[in-house]
Amino acid sequence: MSRTQTTHRIALLFNANKVYDREIIAGIGHYLQSTRVVWDLFLEEDFRCRLTGIERWDGDGIIADFDDPAVCTALHQCSVPVVAVGSSYRDETQYPAELPYIATDNAKLMRLAYGHLIEVGLQQFALYSLPVAPENRWAQEREAAFQTLLAADGLHGAIYRGASTSALAWNESLERLSAWLLELPKPVGIMAVTDARARHLLQACLMAGIAVPEQVAIIGIDNDPLTRTLTRTPLSSVIQGTEEMGRTAAHLLHKMLHGARFPGVRILVPPVGINVLASSKHEPPASPYVMRARHFIRQYGCQGVKTEQVADYVGVSRSSLEEYFRRELGHTVHHEILRHKLQIAQSLLAEHAHSSAEIAIRCGFTSLQYMYAVFRRELGCTPKEYQERMRQPTAS
Amino acid sequence: MTRSMQISSAVWGRLPSGDAVTRYTLRNAQDMQVSIMDLGGALQSWLAPDRSGRLADIVLGHPEPADYVAQRSFFGSLVGRWANRIAGASFTLDGMRYTVDPNEGENLLHGGWHGFDCVFWEVTEADGGLVLRYESPEGEGGFPGKVAVTVCYRLDDDGTLTIDYDAISDAPTPLNLTNHAFFNLSGPGTDIRGHILTIDADYFHEIDAALIPTGIAEVAGNAFDFRTAAPIGTRLDWPNAQLELAGGFDHCFVLRNNLGAPQTPRPVASLYDPASGRELIVSTSEAGLQLYTGNYLNGQKGKAGAAYRKHDALCLEAGAFPNRINMPDPEEVIVRPGRHYRQVTQYRLGVRDDA
Repeated sequence: MSRTQTTHRIALLFNANKVYDREIIAGIGHYLQSTRVVWDLFLEEDFRCRLTGIERWDGDGIIADFDDPAVCTALHQCSVPVVAVGSSYRDETQYPAELPYIATDNAKLMRLAYGHLIEVGLQQFALYSLPVAPENRWAQEREAAFQTLLAADGLHGAIYRGASTSALAWNESLERLSAWLLELPKPVGIMAVTDARARHLLQACLMAGIAVPEQVAIIGIDNDPLTRTLTRTPLSSVIQGTEEMGRTAAHLLHKMLHGARFPGVRILVPPVGINVLASSKHEPPASPYVMRARHFIRQYGCQGVKTEQVADYVGVSRSSLEEYFRRELGHTVHHEILRHKLQIAQSLLAEHAHSSAEIAIRCGFTSLQYMYAVFRRELGCTPKEYQERMRQPTAS
Repeated sequence: MTRSMQISSAVWGRLPSGDAVTRYTLRNAQDMQVSIMDLGGALQSWLAPDRSGRLADIVLGHPEPADYVAQRSFFGSLVGRWANRIAGASFTLDGMRYTVDPNEGENLLHGGWHGFDCVFWEVTEADGGLVLRYESPEGEGGFPGKVAVTVCYRLDDDGTLTIDYDAISDAPTPLNLTNHAFFNLSGPGTDIRGHILTIDADYFHEIDAALIPTGIAEVAGNAFDFRTAAPIGTRLDWPNAQLELAGGFDHCFVLRNNLGAPQTPRPVASLYDPASGRELIVSTSEAGLQLYTGNYLNGQKGKAGAAYRKHDALCLEAGAFPNRINMPDPEEVIVRPGRHYRQVTQYRLGVRDDA
């Protein structure tokens, strides 16, 4: 097979084990298909980026992921046209000065996530980020965007960076994450800098018996289908404009191969959507009566309160309170009390420190048998089985 | 299609001349509200729910009727007799040379000095819609023939606003009608750079410095390729000489599946706003779709004290190709006595949860 004159040899330097990089590469592919441009593409068979010898590579152009500082260094004095792809930065000096650069717009990603959590009625927010590392400067950009957004609304939100993921420290990091989650004022909307991080949140909430999305609403970034299959509560996520990043990078390189030059040109690509699923479908009750009632139930639900007492506290008749509940939540006040008891029982069981009988008493169930019946009806298992399920080593 | 549309009307304000301007509001089962003025037949506001059911106004408009006539920004207006441009403000028809209003440099734009956007339309309720009539006298804007135009606005329960145009003339004349709504699906306060656009077109009309078409070009391999959804902000930033000429998009796309002059509208474009979840789907019977990204917005007085800035909204104007009357075989844009001009365009507004 001989190379025609117009076939350029192009290297794609990406660590395409993540959906983000793979979609950028897909975007490059779509651009080539749409234009009938033929490039002889070089990329590693395992989709990992290896830089050894890249400076001596005999090709015509490179599209590379500049989130990795090693890539920036290796391509610093590259003689062929290079288009850089990566994170957006507030600090101009973080961009390679001489190259065209296609960025995912971190500020807009965070604005979309934040806007969505506000839309579902939340008023308290937090961010789960990543430990600072040269390879994930984008996580710090997302932290800064988070702080700017909240500051503009006169709010303050906690940021938790957690630990980098490792098998040995996994249980401990999850416990710490749970502890952080338990301390947050509820209800809270938490943004995670990636779907992978958002999955940790879901797992920690499950462990700590925190209801998602009622107490903690979660939204990630990447819309990673693989992550979605690993979580029991379907994860909401912001969809980055990855394919458009790929198309834009390919377009600029295409023009550069024909002599155009774009030193210092930066194109920011906004997110293209939100996949709204259960993890962020928080529904705050609009009626202040329902809100007050739920507040009362949260405080005294485990002390054997009845619908009558809730209505007294709220200051409306029992029948009108039932009507408000039916209209807004689709269930009775009694059911709401039961749900609360169940949630508390679940979180106590997850702590493993108490016997079932003790928990039944502490949660205000009239008998152990009744608690068993409620568990079976609502969760399809016994309290014991639920506890076993929580005790299983968590897969990562 | 279900239609439980209700219509109400009220005097909205007065022109300096003292003429009262009436606004008619169409309402559907999902509480969507579309307001139409008798002045210019303009789509003055469109309140539509977002992902969580909150209503926002998704079209630009002026705070007072007088601004529509004084500023002529064509916010939501019906445009005629000729939407877009006619090069040199002249054309030849049946061997006769006609000169029309050169109201944009040497060219005619949007009907001339006093277009359909400046006149009062007679409004009635009929056939489950709002029917607007205007009789354009012979010689208006320099065009031959007396033209009787009927435009019907209808709002369906699924969020479809249908704009149905019908016209007859007592003498041969070119005619190209459209609605010039400026959309921003986020509602007030942000620009449209984050909107995601799809247009079913393989070709577009390249333009010269006066924005007159010079010939068609492929969308493939450049910023105009919206055959797969793309964010508008990114495309505005792609290096492109055509975009530099207009300060953004002000180009007519050659829509697919335009076999002759079909009367049945087919879906040709979609616009999605990830922030609100609102999605607009455009269907039309027309051959062309002008994408205009609000490049000349520079402080026009808007609703609620707003001053509109560049790229605060965009237009998707369905119609014949700009300057089509001066292109080869212009017969399809000429109305002759005994024949009807017809065009149907539908804007369907809904909500989408994922991309």
